[in-house]
Amino acid sequence: MSGPPKSPEAPVAFSPEDMARRRRRSIALALVLGGLVVFFFVVTLVKTGPAILNRPL
Amino acid sequence: MSAAFETRTDGATLTSTGEARDFFALLKPRVMSLVVITAMAGMATAPGSVHPVIALASLLAIAVGAGASGCLNMWYDADIDQLMSRTAKRPIPSGRVLPSEALAFGLTLSIGSVLVLGLVANLLAAAMLAFTIFFYAVVYSMWLKRWTPQNIVIGGAAGAFPPMIGEAVVTGDLGVHSLVLFAIIFLWTPPHFWALALVKAADYGRAGIPMMPNVAGPAATRRQIVLYTLLMAPVAVLPALMGFAGLAYLVVSVASGLAMIVLAVRVWLTTEGEAATKACWSLFGFSILYLFGLFAVLLVENGLGLMWALPKVIG
Repeated sequence: MSGPPKSPEAPVAFSPEDMARRRRRSIALALVLGGLVVFFFVVTLVKTGPAILNRPL
Repeated sequence: MSAAFETRTDGATLTSTGEARDFFALLKPRVMSLVVITAMAGMATAPGSVHPVIALASLLAIAVGAGASGCLNMWYDADIDQLMSRTAKRPIPSGRVLPSEALAFGLTLSIGSVLVLGLVANLLAAAMLAFTIFFYAVVYSMWLKRWTPQNIVIGGAAGAFPPMIGEAVVTGDLGVHSLVLFAIIFLWTPPHFWALALVKAADYGRAGIPMMPNVAGPAATRRQIVLYTLLMAPVAVLPALMGFAGLAYLVVSVASGLAMIVLAVRVWLTTEGEAATKACWSLFGFSILYLFGLFAVLLVENGLGLMWALPKVIG
């Protein structure tokens, strides 16, 4: 017997179509995360109000 | 076990091939759109105002929370969804999304949406969103749906809460306006779903879901559709009589309420053949337009300030 013991996940081989799907899913996830960053930034500005600019330099 | 792999009891390994659109489908986008418009109406009719960005952010949280409860519903119901023609192509029964992925997705979005609404709006709104998700995913999906023919009557409360959450976002409190909007959606739910259940009775029977037509029979269901529609139509006029909707709403609610009654009576009287099926589909389709129409007019009148005010008759 050669090679390391196989885990349950080892036999899975993705087809090129599967890989393309997973790539599109990853891109969508990245876009959602980016959107969340913008969302929290804008909401923080609005919740804090103009006072956010009043800070000692 | 990673999110991308699951091993079945027969040893076969399942792989995840779901795309973003499959995960979006798990959120029941059509239900989400109804939740958004009803929550917006709750905000617009609330006595007070809120910063537009806060309103938009709150709406997003409410929509995601509603979608999360839909996702948890699909996760729990995957076994019966695969038995019904209407639901067999959903992402989980069709194998595009793994059950464990859907569960993780639904729970993450549930917790996230409640936290965000709490931070952006207030604790009452967040608590109500959490209760709505719990009510739909646990009380309705896990308990009522497979247990009683009153499933969608009681479960309909989950779909009726969004206007109350909307009002809570604006005022931090609950008032009579959103209670009236709650009542409209609550009374609208049985005629809407039972019209569908009459057509899909065989599907529900195969899945073992005790819908009203399968348990009480089509004749009793038809009578109850008329009863609930007769209750709903006058309640839907209340916003105009209570002074938080104007002339346009009065006209639309009376005219479309009469149309709902006519369609419900047609479902009651037409019991055989293709004509009966057509009558059910007509009521089902129009009921969606009816609810969208009512809340859209409320929004235009209150949100855009285009209200031709009427004298207050009640309240």
